[in-house]
Amino acid sequence: MLLEVRGLAAGYLGEKVVADIDFELSAGEAVAIVGSNGAGKSTLLKAIAGLLSPMEGQVLLDGRDLTRRAAHRIARAGVAYVPAERHLFPAMTVKTNLTLGAYPHRPDREVLDLVFDLFPRLRERLHQRAATLSGGEQQMLAVGRALMSRPRVLMLDEPTTGLAPKLAKAAFEALEGLNETGLTLLVAEQQVPLALSVADRGYVLENGRFRLEGTPDELEANPEVRRAYLGVA
Amino acid sequence: MTAVILDGIVLGLGFGLLGVGLTLVYGLGGVLNLAYGEIAVFGAIVVSQVMNRGASTLLAVAVGMLAAAGLSVLLDLTLMRPVYRQTGEQRTLLGLLLTLGVAFVIVGLLNWKYPTGALYIFVSGDPISIAGVPMSAGSIWASLIALGAAGLLLLFFGLTTFGRGVRSVIQDETGARLVGISPSLVRTSIFALSGGLAGLVAVTRSMTAPLTITQGFTLTTFALIVAVVGGLGSVAGAFLAGIVLGIVSNVSAHYIGEYITEIVLLGAAALTILVRPRGLLGR
Repeated sequence: MLLEVRGLAAGYLGEKVVADIDFELSAGEAVAIVGSNGAGKSTLLKAIAGLLSPMEGQVLLDGRDLTRRAAHRIARAGVAYVPAERHLFPAMTVKTNLTLGAYPHRPDREVLDLVFDLFPRLRERLHQRAATLSGGEQQMLAVGRALMSRPRVLMLDEPTTGLAPKLAKAAFEALEGLNETGLTLLVAEQQVPLALSVADRGYVLENGRFRLEGTPDELEANPEVRRAYLGVA
Repeated sequence: MTAVILDGIVLGLGFGLLGVGLTLVYGLGGVLNLAYGEIAVFGAIVVSQVMNRGASTLLAVAVGMLAAAGLSVLLDLTLMRPVYRQTGEQRTLLGLLLTLGVAFVIVGLLNWKYPTGALYIFVSGDPISIAGVPMSAGSIWASLIALGAAGLLLLFFGLTTFGRGVRSVIQDETGARLVGISPSLVRTSIFALSGGLAGLVAVTRSMTAPLTITQGFTLTTFALIVAVVGGLGSVAGAFLAGIVLGIVSNVSAHYIGEYITEIVLLGAAALTILVRPRGLLGR
């Protein structure tokens, strides 16, 4: 298993927002965590990324315990996280943002080319400050910056935040392309049909706990999922 | 008039060097180090003590800067730890209170141990004429050191990987953590740099007039004004603001009177906050 999460609980001010989270990701897989707003998706990803210290449980990468490590150590171990708020460096150019993605190493030419192939827009905007980019371009830059570290796992929180439907679809197509190159993906998303379209497996998060899991076909066939997330009566 | 402006530039380069150490620490997490001026004075006293023991000026300056850097790092590793565990307003307030306390402790210790302590570094050499105005060797050297420091700092922050890492923490701490940068390591390094710069500024000021142990508070105030006008967290902004303020303060001292300069400087800071809150080059 590449990434294992065992009995994870996390939250704020002593209150658990998510609990009893168990799942695993094998190399090359794409897994979606779906659920409504406030279900705890962001809390879960933040706890894995180390931005939030887990209250219980373990996070293992390749069998190595990463639980309660500092966020920058988890990033260097190979877990890249693209938060919904993106957290780009606003006054720096696209180029410097990408360069910093490879920190502390020099940016790798091959990875840079991969990012530009995936998002040609970033090449056009190379010397523009991140703050002046559109929402879609900022999302591309956030994913690009995360890729620069050659991560083992790429985690994305709501990659479609603030994107028009067409751009949201394009974002997921880009993610699908990345997954096809062998990159392991973990995506948390409210837009369930989009998320399931790229995933090998999905988990439904409700009130901080996994309610259901299965392949996209299984989940889409499930009456509860159809009613709650797919807008089918 | 040329003389007044040139003297203003000399003063301003000193202001810039003074402001930059404070502005960097502020940029890295919202803590205004109110002990900054006292750390500079502490460095100056170390320099004078080492010189009194017969060491060369250069060695004494190096030891003084290291001592100031060391004191600053000590502050970061001890009292600042709980500060950086807080967020927002609580962090700002706790930071202000604790650094103010440290300032009192340093002033108290210096008053007790070295009540007449002062540093004056005499720079020999004839005055050099610039644009027809004779400038003392001390001011020329002080300005060259400030310019050199500005250049090195800009190169460091613009071109080196670690320097970019520092700027990334200033711009978005969470983003920095996500790309694998440790904000606490960056902060400790910048506290060291800031302390060393405080020591250096004490040295350059003592090249034109004696620096006494009572000047810490004034230094902190000037540093704060420069940092606010330049834009908190901006190196180039600090030096630009320093030069502008140096000229403004010298011109007003010359045409109105010495008494007006501190009011003019504080007024400039207040005006900046009202008209351009992010400062000349801040974000």
